[in-house]
Amino acid sequence: MRDLPSGPQLESLARELEGKGIDGLPPKERAAAAAMIERCRTIARREAAAGEAALAPIRAALASLYSGDPSGHLAQLAAEIRSSALDAPGERRDRALALLRALTLQKLRESNRRFLTAHGYDPEAR
Amino acid sequence: MALTEEGMFAALGKFMTQATGARRAVVRDWSRLGGGAVQECWWFDLEIFGGPREGFPQLVLRADAPTALIASRSRAEEFALQRAAFRAGVRVAEPLYCCEDSDVIGRAFFVMRWVPGAADGALLVNSKEWEERRPALVADLARQLARIHAIPVGSDLSFLGAALADPAAARIARYRDWLDRFDDPHPVAELALRWLDRERPPPEAAVLGHGDFRTGNFLARASRVAAILDWEFADWGDPHEDIGWFCSKSWRFGRYDREAGGLGARETFYRAYEAEGGRTIDPRRVHYWEVAASLRWLLLALQQRDRFLKGGERSLDLALTGRRPAECEFEILRLIDAHTRTGA
Repeated sequence: MRDLPSGPQLESLARELEGKGIDGLPPKERAAAAAMIERCRTIARREAAAGEAALAPIRAALASLYSGDPSGHLAQLAAEIRSSALDAPGERRDRALALLRALTLQKLRESNRRFLTAHGYDPEAR
Repeated sequence: MALTEEGMFAALGKFMTQATGARRAVVRDWSRLGGGAVQECWWFDLEIFGGPREGFPQLVLRADAPTALIASRSRAEEFALQRAAFRAGVRVAEPLYCCEDSDVIGRAFFVMRWVPGAADGALLVNSKEWEERRPALVADLARQLARIHAIPVGSDLSFLGAALADPAAARIARYRDWLDRFDDPHPVAELALRWLDRERPPPEAAVLGHGDFRTGNFLARASRVAAILDWEFADWGDPHEDIGWFCSKSWRFGRYDREAGGLGARETFYRAYEAEGGRTIDPRRVHYWEVAASLRWLLLALQQRDRFLKGGERSLDLALTGRRPAECEFEILRLIDAHTRTGA
């Protein structure tokens, strides 16, 4: 449900590139690489802290719309949107949009809090 | 076998000897230029002995990157587009020589004149040094875009094919194709595609669009544009498409309040574009193309992500780009909601 690479993948990449050493890079590139390594770790840390609990309300909202294997619910939503079944205003469309907003906000809480703050959201608020 | 940097520039010297009609040409110094997640750019110093171009020009090599993005043009096509722009009076680095033979330096490339200037989007948007110059820069960018949209498309650009009858329909088909290449579901991208299809504006005469006209893709010097860069996505399009991309939140480098590329007011840009002889800008069409811009960046970010996840490129930049689609999703939901509420 989250965007990829996952937190553990980002952490692993950060460790790998740090292990190879960034000290030999020119100063500007070294600073940029160090900032990106830190960013990978920050996202990984936030994702681990939020865990599955942060996604539970979104999974529940999806489960109220779709049946079957929960891991396929997001794909079912994508397919329903594509089929134009959610074009018309109505309660089902509102519920779908609400859960997409909630998912997007949760992803941003983990990946880009500055973006949320700039748009008037408190990254700590649920 | 891939050439070393030294081998590549030695081979380039031989190529330049022939291309310039010199007795001998030698690359004296070089360095990789920043940016260029898609293509590689190198600045180099050439010493030319004999022939009509004897001297010490500073040049730029633009070569294929290891992995191309979908819809990115070949270096030969990009060379032709840049040449057409140069001839039409758009400020670009003068393209000089093109080589499609990948045996010369290991991949296709072209050589252009080096132009000094600042390209770093974050610097142009955020530094105090540029504060007073930004309004003039925004207006100059608009004038350059109006000139781009007036470039005559001759036989040298025949690879573009016929002008698109319905640019919006063509983009929807393209983005649908891109989306279908990913294994994972993206409901907000689906939502954007449905909305773009339902709200498709009546077709307007297509123009040659730059395709990646944004902060970070031009060189600026002393309040004006020194050169428009990166022509690899140029294509027929609705003129509002480039404007929507330029104003898209993705390219404001954190200054979301400055709607024209993070540099200034949207109105400044619109006025200068129209005054240069560009068409009258329809804000509703720009809104439409801003939704398309967010969808496009979302899909490009997923392509970049897959270069890391599937292509084996162990790049921090590519990996972190994989976590950026949420920004585009936020913007798509916001723009669609604004349209629903206001009809704007």
